[in-house]
Amino acid sequence: MNRDVTFGSIVRSEWLKFRSVRSSITGVVVTLVLTIGLAALITSVIRTHWSTTSLASKATFDPVSSSLVGVILAEFAVGVIGALFVTSEYSSGSMRTTLTAVPKRIELTLAKLFVLVVSMLVVGEVACFASFLLGQSIYSGVVPTASLSNGPTLHAVIMAGVYLTLLATLAFGLGLIIRHSAATISVFVGILLILPLIFAFFPQSWRNAGQKYLPSELGRAMTSPSAVSHDFGAWTALILMVVYVVVIAAIGAVLFNRRDA
Amino acid sequence: MIKVEHLTKKYQGTTAVDGLDFEVRPGVVTGFLGPNGSGKSTTMRIILGLDHPTKGRATVKGKRYAELRDPLHEVGALLDAKAIHPGRTARNHLRALAVSNRIPYSRVDEVLEFSGIASVAHKKVGNFSLGMSQRLGIAAALLGDPEVLLFDEPVNGLDPEGIRWIRDFFRSLANEGRTVFVSSHLMSEMAVTADQIIVIGRGKLITQGSIDELTATAKGTVFVRASNHQQLLAALKTHGGETADANDEGIAVSDLTAEQVGQIAFDAGVVLYELTPQRASLEEVFMDLTSDAVEYGSSGVRHES
Repeated sequence: MNRDVTFGSIVRSEWLKFRSVRSSITGVVVTLVLTIGLAALITSVIRTHWSTTSLASKATFDPVSSSLVGVILAEFAVGVIGALFVTSEYSSGSMRTTLTAVPKRIELTLAKLFVLVVSMLVVGEVACFASFLLGQSIYSGVVPTASLSNGPTLHAVIMAGVYLTLLATLAFGLGLIIRHSAATISVFVGILLILPLIFAFFPQSWRNAGQKYLPSELGRAMTSPSAVSHDFGAWTALILMVVYVVVIAAIGAVLFNRRDA
Repeated sequence: MIKVEHLTKKYQGTTAVDGLDFEVRPGVVTGFLGPNGSGKSTTMRIILGLDHPTKGRATVKGKRYAELRDPLHEVGALLDAKAIHPGRTARNHLRALAVSNRIPYSRVDEVLEFSGIASVAHKKVGNFSLGMSQRLGIAAALLGDPEVLLFDEPVNGLDPEGIRWIRDFFRSLANEGRTVFVSSHLMSEMAVTADQIIVIGRGKLITQGSIDELTATAKGTVFVRASNHQQLLAALKTHGGETADANDEGIAVSDLTAEQVGQIAFDAGVVLYELTPQRASLEEVFMDLTSDAVEYGSSGVRHES
């Protein structure tokens, strides 16, 4: 019987670890509840106030992004999941046990990433499609609705789930570098919330040139069915976001491989 | 078997392990002894590939740990029993380890049973006492039925029944031809557990050998009672005897054999009532060997008045 450690056996182990702690399960539930719940809330408010909404607002109304508004909150939930998936191994000390079973650290990192990306993609897409469909059914009959049979709409909803997956992966990479739960989550929140605030103090010309590179802006560009001025197109935004994530995760993996556990 | 060659580990400014060389053979229990902070845990972490050595290398069965293809089948280790995710159940903790090395779940139940924690297997590890965590750590070390086993301070937190259990367990592992490497800062514990002993202090090898060899090299004393202690003391001094502990009850003589003390007393015309060679206990041997190498000695504390 072959008993070597393989990529598949590490993935099965990491999957068991991922689903056997409460923080992951809680994180997934929170992600779903926040995304879908906020969609239900916001779309209901828009529906009840639609008759009194100004014509100008009606003209720029976007039924897709208004139903995906919960993504703004889900960002933080998936970030916590991604960060804790690695940092909890440091805070508990279980990383040492993990590494005695799987000493090949790059393979371990890739297996963890695989588990995180697949599970977050499923959670992200379920959350976003459910939000979209729930939102449109609430709008139905009163507010103009969008349909998944429309290409740009389908694209935006899929991208919202992909964006959440990439954010979880970004937090995971930061966790590999920082190795401390609270610090990792702080940096992650800083990137999403604080960087845009700092940009707000810059001159308009700087903002036009630089703001679009922020992950939060890239997320907006990825999930918008129509192009926003000064922003990248959806595909360019996706590629840039992937580059960010790969660079951070690669730095994390190299440090993880080099440092003492 | 485990081989450590010219192993050196420096952390910023401090040298934790300093040119260490030793081998741990199969079939016996080898004790790894040293005061707290002497580099035992660092050495074990390097053997397990967790820390990278600054110089030298540590190998298990001729390979560095990271080169092992099925680590849990080759090496079982218990480092820090509390270093487990507190939110996971004992069974899930072991299952996650098992599945990474393609060990069947039936083996998880076997080691849970063997370690005596099968009844709490469904409980979260965070609620475990130190003793229960130690048993879980031992279960994890046994998962892959490995030939080489490392235990870092395994007796900590165990009750007397657990301590006896673990001693017998080390013995039986060694009798099966396995390599058993156990660290401790307690000489008395090693004296009843280990066959071979490796003593380190401040990251350096101090001595190694069997328990008997170690006690044989230690300086013994001769306890003597005589008709005239003053006269005997003077005679012993002129022959180079150290008499540290002299009172009305008797004299403890070091640096002289019982035969020499008897002869000196005879020449001085002193009648001997008692002449007893006293072999140093292992504890004294250990204190003697490591007295220069204690990182946090109590002698350095100054009392201001």
